[in-house]
Amino acid sequence: MDLPVLTPSTPAASGGCSSSSCGSSAEQMSHLPEDILRRVQDHPCYSEDAHHHFARMHVAVAPACNIQCNYCNRKYDCANESRPGVVSELLTPDQAVKKTLVVASEIPQMSVLGIAGPGDPLANPERTFETFRKVAEYAPDIKLCVSTNGLSLPSVVDELSQYNIDHVTITINCVDPEIGARIYPWIFWNNRRIRGVEGARILIEQQQKGLEMLVERGVLVKVNSVMIPGVNDVHLKEVSRIVKSKGAFLHNVMPLISEPEHGTFYGLTGQRGPTQDELMALQDACAGDMNMMRHCRQCRADAVGLLGEDRGDEFTLEKIEMMTIDYAAAMKRRAVLRADVLAKLDARRSVKASNGLVSLVPAGAAPAPERQTRPVKIAVATAGGGVINQHFGHAREFLVYEASTEGARFISHRKTDLYCAGGDTCGDGESVLQRTIRALEGCEVVLCSKIGFEPWGQLEAAGIQPNGEHAMEPIEEAVMAVYREMAEAGKLAPREMPLRHSA
Amino acid sequence: MALAINELCVNCYACEPLCPNSAIYLARPHFRIDPALCTECLGEYDAPQCAEICPIEAAIIDEAGEALNPPGSLTGIPLQALAAAAAALAGTQAHLPVMGQGAGGAP
Repeated sequence: MDLPVLTPSTPAASGGCSSSSCGSSAEQMSHLPEDILRRVQDHPCYSEDAHHHFARMHVAVAPACNIQCNYCNRKYDCANESRPGVVSELLTPDQAVKKTLVVASEIPQMSVLGIAGPGDPLANPERTFETFRKVAEYAPDIKLCVSTNGLSLPSVVDELSQYNIDHVTITINCVDPEIGARIYPWIFWNNRRIRGVEGARILIEQQQKGLEMLVERGVLVKVNSVMIPGVNDVHLKEVSRIVKSKGAFLHNVMPLISEPEHGTFYGLTGQRGPTQDELMALQDACAGDMNMMRHCRQCRADAVGLLGEDRGDEFTLEKIEMMTIDYAAAMKRRAVLRADVLAKLDARRSVKASNGLVSLVPAGAAPAPERQTRPVKIAVATAGGGVINQHFGHAREFLVYEASTEGARFISHRKTDLYCAGGDTCGDGESVLQRTIRALEGCEVVLCSKIGFEPWGQLEAAGIQPNGEHAMEPIEEAVMAVYREMAEAGKLAPREMPLRHSA
Repeated sequence: MALAINELCVNCYACEPLCPNSAIYLARPHFRIDPALCTECLGEYDAPQCAEICPIEAAIIDEAGEALNPPGSLTGIPLQALAAAAAALAGTQAHLPVMGQGAGGAP
């Protein structure tokens, strides 16, 4: 694999992300100017580091859409589903504002409000902007962001920049209309439904124009792309290069979700999604050109909570109507917590920057000759806080780190519930443990706080070593400690051939 | 002469602001068109606006009951695949009527 080289950091670097201590950020963020780093440091969707400590919420106020995507089915809403674009309850702007204030009071880590659907937020400009305007007024300490397919973007850019929305995500799956026609069957434009290549051409034009206009106005733009094998997988490298050259600060390549039971075009016509390895290979290929994002959870358009969790059920309309809020008091608690977390993160960064964590050789040891040890993928169960603190069986997702002589690098997360918690009534009836083991494909170690006897045996049989010895330790330190143990035990000779025999 | 919205509607609000006659209104369980106000956009647009943006096949019908967007016309999903999916859903998730009816009406 072609990895970007992480150079050992200089402690003097003024608080920026200068080592692997920023998790994924080391790679995805290291090229960002300091002012952008400051703007995203408490945004859980942009920084893997922040996501351990800050929460986000989405409010579903935007039901209408102006395009059709082949991975979307507007008819489907299932309580067991956790895909993007799916919601249980549509809110009016006033209900959304109330919900936001309630959640911000109850979950002080909530730093970001996003509007992401379930349709396209900018195809519902009145509802979307009314929500933003009121939240900005009542809760100025909440960051606002919005996702869009980009079709209406140029026409609302000026209004958008009025509401202090400093983060916009545009989903850009292609820059070639021929490829676009295989992703978007139609768009609605100038009072007509326009199909095929012509529709895709207009969409691409508007997306690119919108991107340029936002960058001109100093708005941070992230680009999302859905990786569709055989359709746009190769093409996304060009997309990455182009959106970077136009000033997008982050590119998030996500896997296509296309289960037949979702009733989408891709689901019903047998279009498969990428494997974990295909996804990571593309992310690595794009990383040469672009700051890549690897920790996206593809959450629902009404998700609430830390990434990877959804506490939406605690804040249904019925429940929030019964609640009263003292937002002024909440805002004080939130400010204290925020300052506390940011100070902790800063402290952790500087400790790691100075103690040689990124090195394979423990501090004090004689400098080893350039010993060739291969990189290893290590999965981690965490419930937040940046430490290994989750029981294997309770983990609904695992964070995957790649440990190498360069240090520990966050590379992806793996869901164990595969977007569905419907048990045996839907899906293929595979056991949770089997699904989890499949999700951990390619990892050689899994770190957790505890693990039961049965999963221990099955993981070992699958070539994944469970390890509960690093409970409550900071993730990256534990990952590197395990890597050093493996190196010392001679398990990390460079691979000539696939190393399955050692499992 | 007027169009109508049937029970396939998913209440996405897309059509409501587009109607030049303000004939579309929010109702339960789904949006409706006031037949006294609807002109099918004649003289206003080349095509009825509600049917032009509606993402749901067969949710908007004319006075003869014909769907302006017949099954398969918006998603491109082959009718056999739609029918198979509807049958599978009917077996496991009877509380999701939209899918089944959309495809069930297909010839």
